[in-house]
Amino acid sequence: MIVENTQTQMRKGILEYCILSIIAKGETYASDIIAELKKAQLLVVEGTLYPLLTRLKNNGLLTYNWVESTSGPPRKYYVLADEGKAVLEQLDKTWRELEFAVHTAIGDRNSTSKTEAKKDE
Amino acid sequence: MNKTIIININGIVFHIEEDAYEILKNYMTDVKRHFLNSADSLEITTDIENRIAEMFSDILIQENKQVIVEQDVNSVIDQMGRVEDFDEIYEEGKTPAGSTDTYTINERKLFRDPDDHLVSGVCAGIANYFNIEPLWIRLAFALSFFFVGTGLLLYIILWIVIPKATTRADRMAMKGEKLTLQGFKNNLEEELSAVRGHINNLHDEARPVVYKMRDFAGDFFGHLGHFFEGAGKILIKLLGIAILVACFAAAIALVVALIAFIGFGQARYNHMFPFSIVESHHANYIFITAFLTAFIPVLTIIIVLISAVFGTRPVSRSTGSTLLVIWICALCALVFYAVKATENFRSEGEISKIINLKASPGNVYYLKLNDVKYLTHDDSLRLDIKNNFNDVVIKNDDNDETEPRNVSLNIERSNVPYPVLVETFKAQGSDDQDALMNARHTKYIYTQKDSVLTFDDKLYRTNGYEWHAERIELTLQLPLNAVVIIDQDLNDRVGMNGINVHDCKETNKQDNATAATFIMTNDGAQCKVDTVVTVKSPTQIDSARKAENAKTIAKLQAQVDSARRADSTIKHN
Repeated sequence: MIVENTQTQMRKGILEYCILSIIAKGETYASDIIAELKKAQLLVVEGTLYPLLTRLKNNGLLTYNWVESTSGPPRKYYVLADEGKAVLEQLDKTWRELEFAVHTAIGDRNSTSKTEAKKDE
Repeated sequence: MNKTIIININGIVFHIEEDAYEILKNYMTDVKRHFLNSADSLEITTDIENRIAEMFSDILIQENKQVIVEQDVNSVIDQMGRVEDFDEIYEEGKTPAGSTDTYTINERKLFRDPDDHLVSGVCAGIANYFNIEPLWIRLAFALSFFFVGTGLLLYIILWIVIPKATTRADRMAMKGEKLTLQGFKNNLEEELSAVRGHINNLHDEARPVVYKMRDFAGDFFGHLGHFFEGAGKILIKLLGIAILVACFAAAIALVVALIAFIGFGQARYNHMFPFSIVESHHANYIFITAFLTAFIPVLTIIIVLISAVFGTRPVSRSTGSTLLVIWICALCALVFYAVKATENFRSEGEISKIINLKASPGNVYYLKLNDVKYLTHDDSLRLDIKNNFNDVVIKNDDNDETEPRNVSLNIERSNVPYPVLVETFKAQGSDDQDALMNARHTKYIYTQKDSVLTFDDKLYRTNGYEWHAERIELTLQLPLNAVVIIDQDLNDRVGMNGINVHDCKETNKQDNATAATFIMTNDGAQCKVDTVVTVKSPTQIDSARKAENAKTIAKLQAQVDSARRADSTIKHN
């Protein structure tokens, strides 16, 4: 249970960061976001995305434009708001820090175990 | 061949097979329920619906077909994800659906059923609450309509009081189903029976756990406790319902009374106390204010009880405060009228009249009660009813006890050798003059026939309906040593100060007598011992009459005989 919870927490943080990153590339439609996330193997089901998008929008990080579609209802194309850009920059920074921290921690563990193994030899 | 349904998802029309539609509908219900607590539920579900519509469009174009089938719906749902999968990321710490309250079955709540209604769903709602067929409730109501519209009033009140089941949660609470995702999924109207089976299964599954957890005794007492808890609740509810029924009866009685008073006019009720002092031109206002003052508390009790017994929401605050304001207004108006009515009793007026009566030869007076229920011819002539009292209210109902005793008779010693009757009329009024007028418009009837004085036990008002506390104090002054024979009836119906016929009869050990004899002394009338008039039984009267007749016949016979004898002597001469 604790493992699951931690996984959920990690995935949740990363998911929001990734969504913001994808949208930062330009006007994006929800299914494009899904496609990218699926490619990155971050998201299993689409239903999860909509509440997240809505929340990010309500927090002022995203806005959207309605675009008429040829084959269905009008589509929402999401754009990063100014605040979203700022947040994304912060997240980028945090991510680099995290990456470094995690790499260091994991790297240490891996290297220590390797050195220990070497010592044993 | 399959039946298809046309659905509209945010403006786009799809043909969908019935089975597929069921699945889609259940899924969307799940989704809506899932985001129900979220502030953005509408936006999220709309996004999801739009996406589903888009996916359907894609499928139809790709596969070049026109109807969406079950398989398509399933693939779309797979892509979109099940509700259980949403939880993971959207809300932290939320347990997977259906695990927390799977074993609780909600208590039924009373709602009007909008799905199964004839008029407003009251009957169906009650039927749901008691889990019986609505038909019986409807039948009961239909029957009760014939009892002076009792049922109609009840129905209307219930209609106002019971809220309509608007949300799906309401509908489920109405049918006592549990408020879980699973419950919601199964609650699509056609699948009721499935839900019941499911709940039963849950019971069976839960039971072994219960048995394991408790030993036999604990289990037994646990069940006993549940039983009494349930029984107590039911008893309290029954008590509530009993009070409710009583309140309904009171409410109906009040309504009927109001209609009767306003409909028939007050003339019919003017001899009864609270109505007798009411001024006729205010009568209807007073009835309405009195009605409201009594009806609103009853209505409030009904509303509170209904919401308590059936666990529904009480009426809105605005309705409550409106009722309160109306009640206070009605109360103020009633107090105003009451004060106005009492003003008519502020002053007292008095008129006395001295009448010399004829002296009885033997100084014996019989005092009797006028128990004739109509005016005699003599009385009519004496009072000149036709000309003088066109609007006289004649109240000759013997059982009329609704006005206070208003005739009193005192017997005193007379200073003159003949009897004197002093009539003192008294009445109340708003001022002295009014009181005097009221006293003056009061008539009293007594008759004297030789030694027999007959008194009425009531007064006659000649100036309208209102009662002004009219009363008469009669003083009968009799010469010294006059013998007064007073009927028990008169003593019973007319207040006589210091005279007690019953005691006098007892003193003379003549309890069956209809009257007692008093003698006028210097100190007033005193009971005369051993001279009571005894009751004569019909046979006694008969024999007495026969004896009398025999005497008379004998007398006549004697006269005739003597006359004949005289004749014969004349002839002989």
